[in-house]
Amino acid sequence: MIVAGRRIQLEARLVTPKWLAFVVPVLSIVVALVIGAVFLLATGHAPLRAYADLLDNGYTSFYGITDTLGLATPLICTGLAAAFAFRMNLYNIGEEGQLYLGMIGSAWAGIALAGALPKVVAIPVVLVAGACSGALWVAVPAFLRARLGTSEIVSTLLLNYVALNLVNYFIFGSRGFFRDPTTSFPQGRTVEPSVRLGALSFFTDKRTNTYPTLFIAILLAAALYWLIKRSNYGYETAVFADSPSTARYAGMNAMWLQSSVLLVSGAIAGVGGAMYVIGPAGKVDPGLLQIGMGYAGIVVAALARYNFLAVILTAILFGGLRVGGAALQASSDPVPIAIAVVLQGSVLLLALGGEIFRRNRLRVVKVSVS
Amino acid sequence: MNANAWLLTFSDAISIATTLILASLGAILTERSGVINLGVEGMLLMGAVSGFLVANSTGNLWLALFVAVLVGVVLATVHAALTVSLRSNQIVSGLAMVIFGTGLANFLGKPVEGRPRPVVILDVDFGPLSDIPFIGPVVFGHDVFTYLTWVIAAILSFYLHRTRPGLVLRATGDAPATVDAQGASVTRIRYAHTIAGGALMCFAGAWFMFARGVAWNQAATTNGIGWIALALVVFASWRPLRAIIGAVLFGFSLQVPFTLQSQQIRILPPEIVAMFPYVVTLAVLVALSTPRARRLLGAPKMLGQPFVRDER
Repeated sequence: MIVAGRRIQLEARLVTPKWLAFVVPVLSIVVALVIGAVFLLATGHAPLRAYADLLDNGYTSFYGITDTLGLATPLICTGLAAAFAFRMNLYNIGEEGQLYLGMIGSAWAGIALAGALPKVVAIPVVLVAGACSGALWVAVPAFLRARLGTSEIVSTLLLNYVALNLVNYFIFGSRGFFRDPTTSFPQGRTVEPSVRLGALSFFTDKRTNTYPTLFIAILLAAALYWLIKRSNYGYETAVFADSPSTARYAGMNAMWLQSSVLLVSGAIAGVGGAMYVIGPAGKVDPGLLQIGMGYAGIVVAALARYNFLAVILTAILFGGLRVGGAALQASSDPVPIAIAVVLQGSVLLLALGGEIFRRNRLRVVKVSVS
Repeated sequence: MNANAWLLTFSDAISIATTLILASLGAILTERSGVINLGVEGMLLMGAVSGFLVANSTGNLWLALFVAVLVGVVLATVHAALTVSLRSNQIVSGLAMVIFGTGLANFLGKPVEGRPRPVVILDVDFGPLSDIPFIGPVVFGHDVFTYLTWVIAAILSFYLHRTRPGLVLRATGDAPATVDAQGASVTRIRYAHTIAGGALMCFAGAWFMFARGVAWNQAATTNGIGWIALALVVFASWRPLRAIIGAVLFGFSLQVPFTLQSQQIRILPPEIVAMFPYVVTLAVLVALSTPRARRLLGAPKMLGQPFVRDER
């Protein structure tokens, strides 16, 4: 681009300064808040008061932060699922559907099997059932991608709508296994108490919405971090991500790498669904499905730049946005909760644009007009 | 089920197809230049809500459609700036557009949620032609934009395959370096077509609102049509006229669940029937993935690849 006799150009940086890794996300969030403020002003809300409420209800009060941690728990899972696939340029955007399936699979295990097992065995069994059903839901797109090269983007996304209707069918459309038989009100059948974990109280006598599944999610993040940084498999995926032809030349099995990464990604999202069953919901609950955890997970992963440990932080950040947003909607000056999604989208767009300045620097060069 | 209901299904399928055609024409223009814009779903919603809001306060259909197109231009410019100038990941930028567009549409639409549409686009009166059995209501029972959409598809087909700028556009998607060497600006071509595509997508959303939507309702306004339009691009093998055929097929699959429900026919539970359009789309995508079909498709070769002159 040439402005006033000077060319503005991007030049690749040889070394990325460490401070930029923090400045870019922070600046993205600040500018996103400004964009949100414009829309708040335009619709007749006071932005500063709304943001102060958001901060208080989402992060700084006791119930605010515990609600946020509770909401962040499945969000960490969908974020990890997205990060695991996206970093290998496999765009699994079906976390939403895989999460629903995880909920169905784990509820099945929680109702059918777990009554016979002690708690320490039953809970892992339920989590694994959720993981398996999440992986199963991505199996068809994964096979198509690895075998025929079909774009996984549209196929995983289309399955989200199928999964949503499947859950609705189990709860509203049929009187089957997953529906509570004791009442005519359409709701899920509660799983055995032995597969449920109680909420954390953080050394107070208050009942919070944070569940011990939070620690499982954090452990999962650490395990994935290890897998990618230290294991042979992680190395192969990294090579494949950088250059598929190099990976093939080095004798790595491209089909196995692509399909296994997608399956693992689906399994992680499925675990997120299982965490609802173990924790707050205790059943297949369509009411929980309207909040778009899967799509939010993609934003979380992208903002964390597909780093599994950073996903934990960004998930908590976005969980707070959602919790604070819900409080705003219920306040005396109701702001639609969609403001949380507007902020999410803006942050992602800005972070994406900011990425280029992390890798390149702007240079202004004088050009002689010939 | 009576014959009349089937007639209505065909007629409605063609009308849903109009949205699909407009949206996928937008995507075809964008992708032919080598840029993927996955944000169709968000663009449709933004077009729908901005059109609705303008019509709600002014009652002017033309102004509403104009503003919707303008919104499309703005959103697509952001996408083009991110992906063409800043070379960001096109997939992630498109997804961000979906999230941003959906969020903003729901935010702006919240105060008017459930309010009926302020203006209605009337059907064209073809006089005696609409009395022809079957063909009359199915072909001659639509509004002016439905026919305009077919004309746009024909014009774009001519543009892509029979004009010089169209040739340059196709070359930009296949071999941007060659276009650059010929002295044309890859950046300018990509911007122009991404923006034109975005305008078409938002127009599609606004039209859908006025012609098909009963009231503004965030959850049910587009319901995944944007994603089906993206699958349609593959089905149409990036050719505008083929998009019409595919759109009628997908439009029919989207309409069948509604027809079955309104006729109170219960072959399968309604939740299972509601999966139908998505499963059909997926099945079509799978069928198109066989090696033989892929050879015939001809996707732009450098689709999704940013062009950087120094790195050639």
